[in-house]
Amino acid sequence: MAEARELTRTRVVYQNIKDLFAAHTIRNTGGLLFLLLAIFLLWPIFMVLLKSINGPEGITLQYYKEFVTKDYYYRSFFNTLLLGLIVTPLCIGAGFCIAYMTTRGPVFLRRSLRLIALLPLMAPPFIFALSLIILLGHNGIITKALNLSWSIYGFTGCVISQTLWLIPLAYMMIENTLSTLNPNLEDSAANLGASEGKILRSIIIPLLTPGFLKAALIIFVMTVSAFGALAILCGRTPFLAPDVYLLITGEGDFNRASVLSMFLILPCAVIFIIQNYLIRGKRYTTIVGKPVAAEPKHLGPVILIPMLAVSFIACGFILLTFGVVGIAAFIKLMGIDNTFTLIYILDARSNVALTNSIKISLLSGLLGAMLGVLLAYVIIRGKFKGLAALEGLGLAGFTLPGTVMGIGYILAFNKPPLILTGTLAILVLNCAFRQLGVGMEAGIIKLKQLSIEIEEASLNLGANVVTTFRRIVLPIIFPACMYGFMYVFILSMIGLSAVVFLVTPGYELASVYIFDAAIWGELGIACATTIKLVIVVGICLAIIQGLSKWTGLSAAARRGV
Amino acid sequence: MKKQRFILFSVALLFLLGSIALAGGTKEAPELEAVEKEVEEEELASEVKVYMSATRENNELISRLIYEGLGVKVIQHFMSCGEVGARLRSEAPRFSADMAINLCAAEAFEAKREGWAIPYISKEWAGAGKAFEDPDGVLTKLANYSTILIGNKDMLDEAGYTLPESWDDLLDPKWRGQIVVPSAVTSGNGYIILYSAMTLYGFNKGLTGKEAEDAGFKYLEALDKNIHHYARSSSTPADLVGRREFMLGMTQDAAALARIRKGYPLVWRAFDEGIGYGGTFALILKGAKEEYTCKKIIDFLGTKEVCEAYADLGNYVTKDPTVIPALYRDVGQLPKYITNLNEEWAVENKARLVTEWKERFLMKQEKKE
Repeated sequence: MAEARELTRTRVVYQNIKDLFAAHTIRNTGGLLFLLLAIFLLWPIFMVLLKSINGPEGITLQYYKEFVTKDYYYRSFFNTLLLGLIVTPLCIGAGFCIAYMTTRGPVFLRRSLRLIALLPLMAPPFIFALSLIILLGHNGIITKALNLSWSIYGFTGCVISQTLWLIPLAYMMIENTLSTLNPNLEDSAANLGASEGKILRSIIIPLLTPGFLKAALIIFVMTVSAFGALAILCGRTPFLAPDVYLLITGEGDFNRASVLSMFLILPCAVIFIIQNYLIRGKRYTTIVGKPVAAEPKHLGPVILIPMLAVSFIACGFILLTFGVVGIAAFIKLMGIDNTFTLIYILDARSNVALTNSIKISLLSGLLGAMLGVLLAYVIIRGKFKGLAALEGLGLAGFTLPGTVMGIGYILAFNKPPLILTGTLAILVLNCAFRQLGVGMEAGIIKLKQLSIEIEEASLNLGANVVTTFRRIVLPIIFPACMYGFMYVFILSMIGLSAVVFLVTPGYELASVYIFDAAIWGELGIACATTIKLVIVVGICLAIIQGLSKWTGLSAAARRGV
Repeated sequence: MKKQRFILFSVALLFLLGSIALAGGTKEAPELEAVEKEVEEEELASEVKVYMSATRENNELISRLIYEGLGVKVIQHFMSCGEVGARLRSEAPRFSADMAINLCAAEAFEAKREGWAIPYISKEWAGAGKAFEDPDGVLTKLANYSTILIGNKDMLDEAGYTLPESWDDLLDPKWRGQIVVPSAVTSGNGYIILYSAMTLYGFNKGLTGKEAEDAGFKYLEALDKNIHHYARSSSTPADLVGRREFMLGMTQDAAALARIRKGYPLVWRAFDEGIGYGGTFALILKGAKEEYTCKKIIDFLGTKEVCEAYADLGNYVTKDPTVIPALYRDVGQLPKYITNLNEEWAVENKARLVTEWKERFLMKQEKKE
């Protein structure tokens, strides 16, 4: 009797939980996601802010005063802004040219250009710094061949390196927008007598403005916050991101590093606000919908030649970089003893670092993709206050400098209540929460294409929210999930600026290992590990795509789309 | 209702964090040999986590010797001395490593002063001599290392130059933009250069206190005109000079020897006035998960086998006076060291001197590259 009563009670409790979950699933999930974002995104940033005003004797503005009164920091801040302002338009310009060529240029060139342009996305950010030293250093191949007497160590070297690294990202984002433009608009304009230049100026560029602005924000943030190439090539030119890095790793000075971090966030925040304002003003130009198939337009030489020239120069340098790094990985001492060797490729510690990177990236990818699509679902289907804030929070990690997030994680999670430093978890959480915005945005786009009536029909037929999500929403949202996973996976594999502060013995990562080797001048190890990293990322992506095809999920996803 | 929601949130959050923490707790499977060794010596752990701050070659050799000698796998994280110090400062009092090996004097003494390390008096190090013993047993001084001058032989030959013989020779304008030295902020060798200059141009000239320090800074300011940039680690100048990026550099003697052995066209010299040196230490960090194994490692580092290995790396004057460091074997004698070099003073004043050095050199107007 007592057992039966206990059983009934358990059932009632279970039913209550089930009812509660069913009735408030979206709201509860939204609350949980908000809590997680607050803990793993807002809390670390708050800790950085707190540290910047917290001296040995309590609250102080001493460190800010130091920043504004010392000429060095002005120069560092100025150089950082200047670098961002030079690199961003260069990347947008070159990215646009390549995107134009891969969507409207000669058909036989499109695939190769696309492949080459996307190649650097699989490599660590400072791969171009390595190749620039090999090619244009004091003992560089090109320097010697042309008997040049210039130095790659300084501002110019940093501009070249950051530009080459970020062109592929600009290309990817612009191409994404360009491929959704309806070619009928251009055809109509051409039929009405508009020249190619006129069509470009008055139709394509205005329509691409939101895409340009979004790409510009991301590129600016990444230019100023990624310190890998800057630390290798800056010589004696100060920049904020390497300064923050050295303050933490060299001096353990979290107060000053936090102040510099706040100044690193400042331009990013200003640009984020301006960009949002500009996009809002141009909202009428936003294009949605699927790519429209059309016959490739024949481009005249006025447009074709300069755009091809820019594309060839950029892609040529990318190929040259990978070629040089690939060769250096198998050369004993590049330029000194050019005999073939496998010692760098067989380096055991780099293999351990690569294994760690794969482990962490897979976990981050899964977590980031899962949270990203859940966020997207809550934002689109939720009917409660604060959804805009939730979306903004989801994107915050993506637009905040990685350096700041790295420091924030040390400050937030090295003491109770949540001690995570020295564990794999801190690396996974950092990578996932910083990048989940991409999966979320992709999920939002997909869900906007799904009529709510289908879900309502499912609910009316007796399926609960979870079943509806699993059977109806998930197949539709799966491409976004995969996109989010791949994005987080790749960035976790190659990312440096945040994780460099979080690695501990036993959790050495490939990107940090390459960076350290490059900083210590061990180019052979750096190049060999880079090549292995690129291959591993390529193989992992192929396996993921193969698995999604094998399980039939990608086909279902395509049907869903 | 609110309570139920809170419970629901908490359960989900705990589940998520728990899953990740479990994933984080998964250690690499110890290698078979290590497992077998563990069975023989039950107290020894299969692996320890160590912050190491010498050269890469040095760290790898010591890690291998520990594995071969004790069956303990060293999970090392290699950083410059200043970087290990900064890491300890940021992690205290919860360290991610069990111990530190090859830590420079200032960082080692800071760890002792702050109570970050635990005492252990090793029998293996008994009678090692005053220079190698800490009466409190917190620090184990493994050896000494020195900072020497290196040059690229090919570049020097092409330019018709010879290696500078004295500290003053480095001030010759012909070296402008051709010298790379380690940063005093991040590198132990960088700091050795700083206090060597103060001793040589200040204390040894009869000056005291601030006057002696200023005399050292005056020399470094003159030298700065010829320096291209300050590197994060002392290994970097050895590589950059070896690869013909720059003509001259200052580096740790072990780093120079390692590159010479690799085949870099490097030549080296100890200045006529003498070269600076510093100690390198091992310590067990407070809260070490593998304290017993760390103690065994400290014992093992004092064996003749390890001392000989250190000496063979090229720079160390070990506790065993019969072993001559490899770099100096060809010359048949130890180099001339700067007299009256006061390591204790250098340790006590590091924070202040490095801050001033940074203001004077790193934070000054950048040179045209």
